[in-house]
Amino acid sequence: MKKDDKRQYALILCDGPACLRKKSKNLEEVIKQELDKRGMADRVRLTLSGCLGMCDKGPILIVNPGYVIYGGVTEHDIPAIVEQHLINGEPIARLEINEDHLFNRFFRVFGDVGFFGKQMRITLRNCGIIDPEKIDDYLSVRGYEALAKVLTDISPEDVVKEIKKSGLRGRGGAGYPTGIKWELTRKSEGSPKYVICNADEGDPGAFMDRSAIEGDPHTVIEGMIIGGYATGADKGFVYIRAEYPLAIKRLEKALGEAKTHGFLGKNIMGSDFSFDIEIKLGAGAFVCGEETALIHSIEGSRGMPRPRPPFPSVSGLFGKPTLINNVETWANIPVIILDGADWFSSIGTETSKGTKVFAVAGKVKNTGLVEVPMGTTLREIIYDIAGGIADDKKFKAVQTGGPSGGCLPEEYLDTKIDYESLSKAGSIMGSGGMIVIDEDSCMVNISKFFLEFTENESCGKCTPCREGTKRMLEILTRITDGKGEEGDIEKLERLGNMIKKASLCGLGQSAPNPVLSTIKNFREEYEEHIKEKKCRASACIALLSYTITDKCIGCMACRRACPVNAISGEPKVKHVVDKTRCVKCGLCFNICKFDAIDRR
Amino acid sequence: MATPLETIKKKRAEAICRIISKGYLSTKRVYVGMATCEVAAGSKEVMEVFDNAIKNGLGDVYLSQKGCAGRCNLEPTVEVVEENKIPVKYGKINAERAREIIERHLKRGEVIEEWVIR
Repeated sequence: MKKDDKRQYALILCDGPACLRKKSKNLEEVIKQELDKRGMADRVRLTLSGCLGMCDKGPILIVNPGYVIYGGVTEHDIPAIVEQHLINGEPIARLEINEDHLFNRFFRVFGDVGFFGKQMRITLRNCGIIDPEKIDDYLSVRGYEALAKVLTDISPEDVVKEIKKSGLRGRGGAGYPTGIKWELTRKSEGSPKYVICNADEGDPGAFMDRSAIEGDPHTVIEGMIIGGYATGADKGFVYIRAEYPLAIKRLEKALGEAKTHGFLGKNIMGSDFSFDIEIKLGAGAFVCGEETALIHSIEGSRGMPRPRPPFPSVSGLFGKPTLINNVETWANIPVIILDGADWFSSIGTETSKGTKVFAVAGKVKNTGLVEVPMGTTLREIIYDIAGGIADDKKFKAVQTGGPSGGCLPEEYLDTKIDYESLSKAGSIMGSGGMIVIDEDSCMVNISKFFLEFTENESCGKCTPCREGTKRMLEILTRITDGKGEEGDIEKLERLGNMIKKASLCGLGQSAPNPVLSTIKNFREEYEEHIKEKKCRASACIALLSYTITDKCIGCMACRRACPVNAISGEPKVKHVVDKTRCVKCGLCFNICKFDAIDRR
Repeated sequence: MATPLETIKKKRAEAICRIISKGYLSTKRVYVGMATCEVAAGSKEVMEVFDNAIKNGLGDVYLSQKGCAGRCNLEPTVEVVEENKIPVKYGKINAERAREIIERHLKRGEVIEEWVIR
């Protein structure tokens, strides 16, 4: 047997909730046994996948190569599938179903790898598959067909209805129902109207929007054109930060090609609808992700938010009705139009439909971009997809929603991801940042990090955010410097709640979240810092002290390494650290081969 | 006049023809990840290696770039797709490994198991 004959087939078994209810868990065992019995075990790889969006026909089993989809598979069908298909190479027509949803292609190429198995890619369906710089590639995967479909036989009202019916909610963070936003903009009086794509992605560690635009710019463009058609707008803007040069380059190229093919410009595809898109570069201020600040920035003013209402859908860009959605929201639109609102709303939970993209970063084995159906648990993302905590350390917390979100400890790992359950647990969905924190991180330090970011990015318009975050940061810095005082935690809580209630925009309203959630879930760490001047993760440098224990054999290595000559001692005699001179750089700790330096 | 739907069908057919005329139906298709993160990890050099090999006569291979597939820690990534075989995804490919993929996988059909992403 040739070497590559080993992996002759890859089976993908749907492990989504609906299929599980129909006993597909049992099927896994039956398949494994049957493969063993027929001596096929090493030639076939079995992967469990997340929901495949074909729930009514489940349990689903897919055979690759060939991408043969079997539906309604029972354990009695398994011997036949192994015998007839895997051994004799003849697919079983009676079980085959011919569903070809847009997202399936991604699965066809990547579905047999565990990392992708539990994912479901709708917005990222073409990312990593097509060449983003060639419109031909996009056209070949039914690109611009959704646009053609609405232009041919769906009225703008019905497009809005379809989006409303799909249950799609804003993916930028707040989760406002997209369809209602579209309807409001459509009904608002005023001309011209505008459409904006918010690609001002600013969360530290988040890269969903960048990857989506870099991997498949046409999807976003197509979504925006449909949005323009549905709301009666004739001009669109993509607000993207200047520090994403490749994304901008690909977007520009895509816009140019779309124009050449007549998908943008006057009388699109021979219809009487005209629409054009312009790119606006942002300078990278975090607050410009807030829609009213973003609109100010496009108008040429300083990026600062203003009170709402009026909402942009009534009075937005240049005082005209404006439809503003996030990149990921736009990327969902063509799929909803082509595969239908009914299909789309069959994925996800009661209140949150479809999928969500997360940028998983931090202390996990596989960092990366993942897209999962709503209702997937945090545990599934962190352990099944991202492979668990790196270096076999212990999980401590997961931070969702970037600097505006909260830190959730282990007991929340089984939280199902949707807008409501995450906010109930004390965090937010946000735009999709997910940072996993292990036992080596200090929660006080982490919340200080996020607050430093928001304090720095506060635009300064409203006092609670401008002054409040500064004062909170002062207190946190004091605590991590070992100068925390009794009552500091309460002060943080009071300030935090005040800032949340009194700030003008989402930046201030959510800035205290990391601090408040870590106080709620890790209060004992704050108390240790303040009362015992101790940091259990050894992350707050000011709180550390270095002493040399009896394990020291007097090798002089640390004495030579110490940059401030704080270590003294003769050869072969135990050394001593002069704590008045020690700057706590940790060089001695790292250099000692005998584990003789005690750091606490 | 043709409706937009009829127009798009024609456009798709034309697009597919153009893709095929560029060699899409070759026995092997190679995709190199070229998002910002992949480029930062060194995928440009990898792309060059494949590109040069094809220019220098490596036949029956279709080469294309692709966006981010989401495997940040394993970049740069390279996929080799063959009809009727399970696509092979390689992780952490550099110029040297790319040359080896050309020699062993593309020319001799041997999957280099150590670099395959599971």
